[in-house]
This record gives sequence, C-alpha cells and structure tokens, in this order.
Amino acid sequence: MITKRQLGLGLLIIAITGIVALLTVDLVGAGAFQGIGPAQRLGLLACGIVALTGATLIPLGDKPA
Amino acid sequence: MIATIRSRPLYLIPAVIIGLALLAFIGYFVVYNIYAFALFRFPFDYDQGEGFELVDTILFSRGEWPYRSNDSYPFYSSNYPPVFHIVIVPLVWLFGPHYWTGRLVSYVGTLITAVAIGYAVQRVGRRWWLSLLTGLAFLASNYVYHVGPLFRQHMFMVMLETVAIVLLAVTFDKEEADGRHYNKRILVVMVLLLLAGYTKQLAYATVIATFGFMFLRDWKRALKWAIPFGLATGAVFLLLNIATDGEWFVATVTANVNEFIEGQAIGLYKQWFSLHTVLIVVAVLTVVYELYFSRLSAYAIWFVVAAVNGATAGKWGAGESYFATAIAASCILTGVAFNLVLNKITGSDLAPRRKLWVHMIVLSLIGGLFLVQADKVFHMPTHSPLLRSIAVALGKPTEQWVPPQTSCSADLPPESIPYVDNVAAGLLGRPPNSADIAAGKRIAHLVAEGNTPAFSEEAGFNLFIGRDVVTNPTQLLNLYKNDRVDLTDMLAMLDAQAFDTIVFRAQFYPPPVLDVIGQRYVTTDLEQMNGFVYCILRPRNLVATVP
Repeated sequence: MITKRQLGLGLLIIAITGIVALLTVDLVGAGAFQGIGPAQRLGLLACGIVALTGATLIPLGDKPA
Repeated sequence: MIATIRSRPLYLIPAVIIGLALLAFIGYFVVYNIYAFALFRFPFDYDQGEGFELVDTILFSRGEWPYRSNDSYPFYSSNYPPVFHIVIVPLVWLFGPHYWTGRLVSYVGTLITAVAIGYAVQRVGRRWWLSLLTGLAFLASNYVYHVGPLFRQHMFMVMLETVAIVLLAVTFDKEEADGRHYNKRILVVMVLLLLAGYTKQLAYATVIATFGFMFLRDWKRALKWAIPFGLATGAVFLLLNIATDGEWFVATVTANVNEFIEGQAIGLYKQWFSLHTVLIVVAVLTVVYELYFSRLSAYAIWFVVAAVNGATAGKWGAGESYFATAIAASCILTGVAFNLVLNKITGSDLAPRRKLWVHMIVLSLIGGLFLVQADKVFHMPTHSPLLRSIAVALGKPTEQWVPPQTSCSADLPPESIPYVDNVAAGLLGRPPNSADIAAGKRIAHLVAEGNTPAFSEEAGFNLFIGRDVVTNPTQLLNLYKNDRVDLTDMLAMLDAQAFDTIVFRAQFYPPPVLDVIGQRYVTTDLEQMNGFVYCILRPRNLVATVP
C-alpha cells in the first residue's frame, strides 16, 4: 500500500523532473518559440500544480493514498 | 413530526426539482434516439471516415486485413485497430455491408456505458433516480450525442474502458471486504483493457489509470499484473505486424503521428468545461476530497488521467470525442459524491426534524445542479412542430444559420438548419433527412454513369453501387506527411484519367494528388448532403468532347 507521504514525494519528483525538462527544451534547440513558448507555459503550470499537490500530501504521513 | 413535515407542500420541492431534472435528461435520451434512428436509415457517410470503417469490416468479413500498402491500387489502408470491426462482422455476414450495422453497435455501446455508470453510482447509495440521472447525463453530453450512433470505434472503446474500471472498483471493494483476492475478475479487467486498446489506441490512458490505482493499493500486485499484460499486448502487436508484413505498424503507428495544434487543444478544453461544468466541478472536488481526506478511488484516478489525456484532442484529425472517457468518469464521480453526501446526512445524528430539512435542501440542490447541467448541454433537432414548440417553450432558438461547408466550390450563404446545439455552428447532430438520402443517391448515380469506381473521399458512393472503394484520403495524407507512401502509381492513374469520377468533400488528399486532379479533371456537378458541398469531377478530355 502506498501512503500519502510516498504519493506526495512521487508527485513532487515527477513535477520537478517535468519542470527541469521543460526548461531545458530550449537549450537543446527544440520548440518553435524563442524563450518560453505557450505550450511550455501550460506544461510549467501543470507541473506547478502537481508539485503543490505533492508537497501538501507529504505532511499527511502514513495514511493510505 | 416527520409525517407532519412530509405532508407539507414544501417537501414536494426537491421531488419536483429532481422530477424536472429526470424529465430533462429523459428528453435528451429521446432526442438521442431520434438522431440515432435517423442515422440507422441513412445509407451514406454522415461523418467523413465512417465508410472506411465499414470497408475495414467488409475486409475482415472476407478474412482479409485492412492493413495493406497504400502504394498500389486500390490505395487503401486503415489506421484503426481491429476489435470494433471484428465485432460487427457477424452483422455484415447476416445483413450485408450496411452503415447501420456499425452505427447500431456503437449506439448499443453507449447504452452499456450509461448502464455501467448507473450501476457504479447505484452501488454507493441505492438511489435509483441518481443512478438514472448520472447514466443519462453521459448520454446527454453533446460529444456523446454527436458520435455515439456513428460508425466510429471511439464509443465502443469508451464502453470497454468504463466496464473495465467499474469492474476493477467493484473487485477491489469486494476483495477488501472479504480479505481475499479475486484474480479471475482482475483477469477479466485486463482482457477488457486489452480489447479497448485494440479497439482504439487512446485506451492507453485507462490502462495507466488502472495500473496507477492498483499500484496505490498494492504495488507488488500491480507489477505482477503489468508484466503479463504488457507481454500480451506486445505479443498481439507483434503477431499482427508479422501477419501483415509490417503494414500494421505503418498503418496504426506511423499514420497516427500527426502535428499537434495547440489552439485546437485549448479550445476543446474550454468547450468541454463550458458544456460539462457541473460534472467537472463536482468530479474535481471529489478528487480533492479523496486525495486529502479519504483514499483515491479508481474513478478519481481514471478521471484525472482521462482529463489530462484530453490534450491529445489537439492532434490533427482528433476532436471532441477524445473527452468522452473523462465525461464517463466525471458522471460516476458526480453520482458517487452526491450519494456520499446524502449517505452522510442519513447517517448523521442530527435531530430528525433538522435532518429532514437538511436532506430536503441538499436534494433540491442536487436536482438544481442537474438542471443547470441539462441547460449547459442543450441540443435538439427542431425538424418537427412538436420539437420546435418544445424549443420555443424552453426559450431556445429553433434553428441555426450555417453556411454549407465547401472546399471545392464558391462559398455559399448561410442556410437554416433545423437543429440547435450549445456547441456552436457544428454540423454533427442534425438528423439526416430524406433530402440528404436523395442527394447521396444522386452522387452515387453520377458515379454509376461511368465505368470505373470513383476516386472518392468517402466510401459510401462506391459501396452503394457495388464498386471498389479506392483510397482512404486522411490515411494517405498522414503517410505522405511522414514520407511513408509512394504516390507514383496513383498519380500515373490520375494523370491518365483512369477514373471516370472524382468526389471531393474536404480535399483531404496529399497536395500532389490534388495538383494532378486539378490538371486532369474538371468539376461538373455540385451536390449538397448533410450540410457539406460535394464536388463531382470528370476527366477534362471527356468533358471537352461532350457537345
């Protein structure tokens, strides 16, 4: 059984990985826009929500997810 | 005390509101059937691509694969997996290759989905009216209405997904209650998911949700099931690829790599929310509640994954139907949430009089929310005096003014369409009528005047007069964009004017095909069917010799 803390940590890791990936997209030359494009903005927003959700789940401890 | 309150007219308020909500959604169900039965009688494509799904079914009924090379005549291949078409094969054997066969199967699939939704809700609260409302709310969605009775595999996939998720949730509840595993039931869930995936690739979202839920409950068990499931899925894929000489991969993977149109995805998300606001808001609140105050259910995970997967509606060729899975999940979550609230009130230790009042207020609110949702998805044909009168009585318009869609003629002025829909200016949803059938027959007659099959964007006209179906234009376009089709033979035949007739509706063919048609053929007739202009072209040299 996965706990709320484990789920929170999992979501946080996924979100941080996503944010890093979205920000490094431009470094490798992908994407049609200079700077942060509209799709990246949406992706960053989604990752932000996931990160926030993950962070707020961590204090809930060992309750089942 | 309770008897005194029950006898008061005030107690009738929730009953009336819920009764009105039931009436509204039963009305939508009647409208759905009007549309479905009109489609069953319509012998041509209503939505571009339906005919090609019929061709796939015909090929399967003959023991042939629809996954074949597009490089040589008849330049036909399908980009859809086989399950939906194989299910229809017995109907084609019994009754012949008719459009109604696939439309009927898809329609029945939506009814089964609605029953599964109702069953999932009924288990939580045993309130028949709430179960009925949530099942009917699914059928009342504009998106489900538009595509439910079409010869398209999408809603059949949604049916398999929904039954799989409901069975998964029921099984886990039973396992936790009984303290033992029911692996045979989980096996059925896996088979349903496999069938859903081989009905349409989009079912991967439900597979992710299923294993996500199992992982949260028992991660070792999730892994134990994921490995054989992955192996079985891969083995079927490999067998299909070997059996078709690699054409399966080209047809179902390469041809589905399309560009992503961000504006289309965002526009559809906004539309989905504006049409299904009540269902989505209640579903999201339920997910938040489960996340922080309870345990995540299979339905909550399914809703989140399906809603995120809605982004794929932004792919070229995709559309509103990509939200159907999320709509099914939101209907279940809405019904479950309302049941839990009502259960909480019933089980509370409030004083009987107060409990009754709270119950009454909450029932009224639930009924009111369903009425708001009913208004959000408003759609109805208005071709009969009765339906027009109902629209007028509801304060709704009785017609839409939409210009016929054309890709191959001069623009035409807007025309009155006896159908209204909160999805603005769409052509899906209007029941086809006798004028549409007559127009289709005139096009088929024009094709029959020649000796060859038509080079047609829709399969229906060739099928109607028993000739070969030539080309699947969107498939050709997708493969052309991915540089996986050799057009040499096709262009040579068109250059030699080997086809007596060309039929255009949207000019989906690859640019070189359109170029050579423009050079060798000329438009001779225009027909209008289902709000679309069809252009019939003939060889230039033939037209030139006609006095």
